[in-house]
Amino acid sequence: MAIIKRKICLLGTFAVGKTSLAQRFVNDQFSDKYLTTVGISVSQKLMPPIQGEPSDGPIQHALLIWDIAGLEKFDPVVMNYFRGASGALAVGDVTRGETAVELKTICDKFLSVNPEAVLVTIGNKIDLAPDGGEAVSDLQQLASDYGSELILTSAKSGQRVTEAFRLLSEKIAWRHA
Amino acid sequence: MRNPVNIIAKQKRFGVLLYDRQLQVIDIDAIAKQLLASTELKPHGSVTDLLPELVGAEDQMVRLVDKQEDFYRLDHLNRHDAKGEVRYLNLLTLPCVDSHQAMILLEDVTQDARILQAANQQRYDEYLYRASIEHRRHQIGSSILGRSAAIERVIDTIQKLSHISSATVLLMGETGTGKNLAARMIHESSMTAEAPFVEINCAALPEQLIEAELFGYEKGAFTHAVDAKPGLFEAAHGGTLFLDEIGELPLGMQAKLLSVIESKSLRRLGSTRSRQIDVRIIAATNRDLQAEVAAKSFREDLLYRLNVVTITLPPLRELGDDVVLIAQRFVELYNVQFNKKVKGFSPEARRALLAHNWPGNVRELSNCIERAMIFISGNEIDRQDLILSLPATDNERGAASRWTVPPTGIELEAVEQSLILSALERAQGNKSEAARLLGLTRHTLRYRMEKHGIE
Repeated sequence: MAIIKRKICLLGTFAVGKTSLAQRFVNDQFSDKYLTTVGISVSQKLMPPIQGEPSDGPIQHALLIWDIAGLEKFDPVVMNYFRGASGALAVGDVTRGETAVELKTICDKFLSVNPEAVLVTIGNKIDLAPDGGEAVSDLQQLASDYGSELILTSAKSGQRVTEAFRLLSEKIAWRHA
Repeated sequence: MRNPVNIIAKQKRFGVLLYDRQLQVIDIDAIAKQLLASTELKPHGSVTDLLPELVGAEDQMVRLVDKQEDFYRLDHLNRHDAKGEVRYLNLLTLPCVDSHQAMILLEDVTQDARILQAANQQRYDEYLYRASIEHRRHQIGSSILGRSAAIERVIDTIQKLSHISSATVLLMGETGTGKNLAARMIHESSMTAEAPFVEINCAALPEQLIEAELFGYEKGAFTHAVDAKPGLFEAAHGGTLFLDEIGELPLGMQAKLLSVIESKSLRRLGSTRSRQIDVRIIAATNRDLQAEVAAKSFREDLLYRLNVVTITLPPLRELGDDVVLIAQRFVELYNVQFNKKVKGFSPEARRALLAHNWPGNVRELSNCIERAMIFISGNEIDRQDLILSLPATDNERGAASRWTVPPTGIELEAVEQSLILSALERAQGNKSEAARLLGLTRHTLRYRMEKHGIE
């Protein structure tokens, strides 16, 4: 069975939980302490096999997960962070409305470099707002604009984190089928 | 002569790695090996195995070998060293001029990155603190809550004022009834987001400083005026000036304030130039200003100028079930602040909240819930979690006025000093509240404090 390396990016403004989502997914760990990321941190995870086209047989993705610092500018070096990605998890913080607005800017830049990439929208920190936070409706709108799904996650509890990465992996497989 | 890039790389201690068109590693020097120490090095391995950050950029890597691109750069690659600490590398890929290969230069920028990380951390931590506590506090506490007729009247008046940004408003009500919150709501509902909201507690400033604070001063206007300074009226230009405890304003200042409100202009201290100001005045007091007018301690003309619109904030004891509604909102607020998951109140606790007379109004309720939330370990506040101040019963009030002198006698001055200190302690240093507890005016209390040397 073919193992295909795919680069995916975690997009979002600072402190929405990108590093925590990657940590939860790759190492099943979570830390309450917030440490801001500088630059990029790449981790890798082998995904379960996905059934592609019947003629192709199953495929397996090795996801190279690019945890990218919350960006405030988009110079050519920053655009290199995005280049060559097959997809992205677009992450907002459900408790901070402004994160959805900033996320749209980042997603637009990402898609300008990777027009064929697929997105899955994440509303993270749902444990802090079990009844939905102030950003949920904006994130729902953003997901709808990009033809993606909105998944409400908690990196802290692990709620729906694996599901979000799996969905992205499947969407990448379908796009490249 | 050697390739200048190699000379620079060696002098600057850059790691160097060469790869070919198949993206196979051809050569790697000692510094690059050290910088990539955590990555397993395979002979003739792929450059993307060594630097997974290049996955997805393979086409560009090949174009660099073919000299079709000038460079490819990635900053701040995070790598963990043997101790598990993050090190930061900058990567620059260049075509090799004299061979069909490309060169990756790696620079250890950990020291600079850590400075950047610390600066970002501080900035973001501050932002997040505000976002998580203050912002949510603001969100949760930024509206007057309640379904009682009294509260609905207040909200209705504030909504009507949202269409008028110029009318002067007088907020009346006991201490702790939310006059400050109402002032902010009036401001926010009727002004643009950029319009300033400037607040001053007229009881908090010494009499001789109030004029300079309100109207500003020019350089040299008085001994310590080394620079000109605009006053609060100017700071509030285009917005709202909230004068809290207006009843404490000295009579002389009341005349000047009236003049500014009527003429919509002021002169800084030490200036002959008149400045136009566009400011909405919201004033608040817990005093009966009509009575103060009768006692000649408040100007009648200023009162009429201020009470174009008067809103009376009802005391908590008159709000019935709203007490529980407001208490529940405080539970939500302190859940956020203390990271707890308290759901609400037991039936006994609800009954206690409704039975209490809340002399300190919403402020007292907030303190009561905060205290309970600090110590609670379960998910429901019970009666014993609520520490309610004992109401002054008629008997107690009567007892206070029936004190008698013991046979050994007393020192009246010492008793007076002790009572003033006690009142100040109970009022947490708030002189107006302490004066109310003692049945004195604030001016009388201040005089007696000075007499006893109480700071």
